[in-house]
Amino acid sequence: MKNRIMAHMVAFYPSREKSLETARALIDGGCTYLEVQFPFSDPTADGPYIQEACKQALEKGFKISGGFELIGDIRTFSNIPIFIMCYANTIFYYGIEQFLECCVSGQVQGLIVPDLPVDYDEGLFEKSECRGLEPVPVIAQSTKPDRLDMILKGRSEFVYAAIRKGITGSFTDIGEENIQFLTKVDSFGKKILAGFGISEKHQIEAISSWIHAAVVGTAFIKEIIHSGKASIYNVIKKKIQSLI
Amino acid sequence: MDKIYNDFFGDFGGRYVAEVLRPALDELQDEWVDAMNSKDFRSELDLMLTRFAGRPTPLMYAENATRVLGGAKVFIKLEGLSNTGAHKINNVLGQALLAKRMGKRRIIAETGAGQHGVATASVCAKLGLECTVYMGEVDIKRQRPNVFWMELYGAKVVPVSGGQATLKDAVNEALRDWAGSFKDTHYLLGSALGPSPYPDMVREFQSVIGKEVQREIEQQKLDVEALVACVGGGSNAIGFFHPFIDTENPRLIGAEAGGKGKGVGEHASRMSGEGKLGIVHGYKSLFLLDEDGQVQPTHSISAGLDYPGIGPQLANLGIKGRVEFTRVMDSEALEAVQFFAKHEGLVFALEPAHAGAAAMKLAGELPQDKSIIVNMSGRGEKDLFILARSLDRQKWYSFLRSEVKGNEK
Repeated sequence: MKNRIMAHMVAFYPSREKSLETARALIDGGCTYLEVQFPFSDPTADGPYIQEACKQALEKGFKISGGFELIGDIRTFSNIPIFIMCYANTIFYYGIEQFLECCVSGQVQGLIVPDLPVDYDEGLFEKSECRGLEPVPVIAQSTKPDRLDMILKGRSEFVYAAIRKGITGSFTDIGEENIQFLTKVDSFGKKILAGFGISEKHQIEAISSWIHAAVVGTAFIKEIIHSGKASIYNVIKKKIQSLI
Repeated sequence: MDKIYNDFFGDFGGRYVAEVLRPALDELQDEWVDAMNSKDFRSELDLMLTRFAGRPTPLMYAENATRVLGGAKVFIKLEGLSNTGAHKINNVLGQALLAKRMGKRRIIAETGAGQHGVATASVCAKLGLECTVYMGEVDIKRQRPNVFWMELYGAKVVPVSGGQATLKDAVNEALRDWAGSFKDTHYLLGSALGPSPYPDMVREFQSVIGKEVQREIEQQKLDVEALVACVGGGSNAIGFFHPFIDTENPRLIGAEAGGKGKGVGEHASRMSGEGKLGIVHGYKSLFLLDEDGQVQPTHSISAGLDYPGIGPQLANLGIKGRVEFTRVMDSEALEAVQFFAKHEGLVFALEPAHAGAAAMKLAGELPQDKSIIVNMSGRGEKDLFILARSLDRQKWYSFLRSEVKGNEK
């Protein structure tokens, strides 16, 4: 069986056009889901690579409206399920309902907003669900059992499990502790999207039987940084193919 | 307000953090509330505040300044006389003792002006805790002396180059560290902001300022018209105001950084400027944001006021009208430093010089039987380089040149 990948990219990084090229490469390379991050000035949960990518994307003129236009452009050539990842302030300041309406018109499947947890969500979960959007709750390896129950009793089809320690891009060796955690999460019957600083295929294979899809993000940004004069399309497509 | 833990203040506050940080904050809330109910903890803290921090700090009648300004009596709460030179140590001692009680061995902190970093490094040295301080590269440039002090105390100072390389980016970096380290590490946040329980906890630890002032007011039977404090994140202001929040008087006045002007990136005035409701750094409050919700650049001559958000409780008190906010320009703060140095023999730090400047304006408008109290939250030695460059550039530069020359020989 092939590995399912949720491929993460930052809208407008390294530029608007090249982020569209990145999306095309990820899709052509065989990702199952596309996670498009809308950059924010203060991405607290992200590591240095995604942080820098967000900064550059903002310098390249990212606006929320431009982000939705980019998704519109992706829709002209692909029906891949798209999830938007953003920080609380992006969606809150824009207006949650207005933002969700844009998601509906852009045929976005769901949202991942790490700093709007279920009990401080500003109504995101309910407002998304009633529009047929999938709000994806995020859990961490350190989440306490009673809180895990509270988060996972919701209707969401997916759950994003951050099984790395700390921020994005830092790799965790998969151990017994991770497997126990994933087994427990799996008992709730959700599709697990697992992110833990993946850059190689064997890392995915180590946990593929416990998860629905592996989230890969920082690894693609590193490819873009090191692409030099090579076409971004080619390096990204090659990278994702090496993971599947 | 009698509850110590509130989470929200009207619409402001909350705990908007990624799940990875949640256990750390839940644990902190429980342990802090527990500690506050413990007599042993409180007496240990009181002892350290007295014997190490040098409390109580004096409330000084600024007789000469009062005469020159020709209005209300001006009193100055000399928080700058605390060990390490600012009010920051009140909160640092509280949280560091709490961290020890929780069994943490390592402390991380963010710092802007460096005063919180210096206080944290000092207390960690005293209590035998490992200490890492995150500081923006821009702030390191303007506050190099404080980096020297932190390192002398044995702390590791980590320069932050991401974002604008100032206080907000140091907060981001500290949060990132904590997400992977909270098992043995406490994040000692220095202002009354961030995700709950920090705004509540920092206010409680800083309220010692207001309680001392309240006792003095009663003992000296002062008719106080207003309390004036500078507001960056707002920890000195909320601690100073705390005992008076639920009463109608005195007036509570917050001085924000008016910087160089009203344009984007020229100031840090959220309440007296154009702060907008947002969720940043784990809490909901008023921030300087662009039309897309991105955090805008800020400026102040004082690194400690150069922050795009304001503590949630102060935001709420501002909206309700209990706290009045005013903006003070860089130039006015510089004038206030000179005024109080000449007339009172006190060098204000540039942050509370904003409060000093606001008080200078207000005093002249009030009758002589009224009093106003300014919180001098820090003393100005840390600003030597900025002050000397601004006030006596030529001599200062020739001194620096000769220093460098002398050392090269």
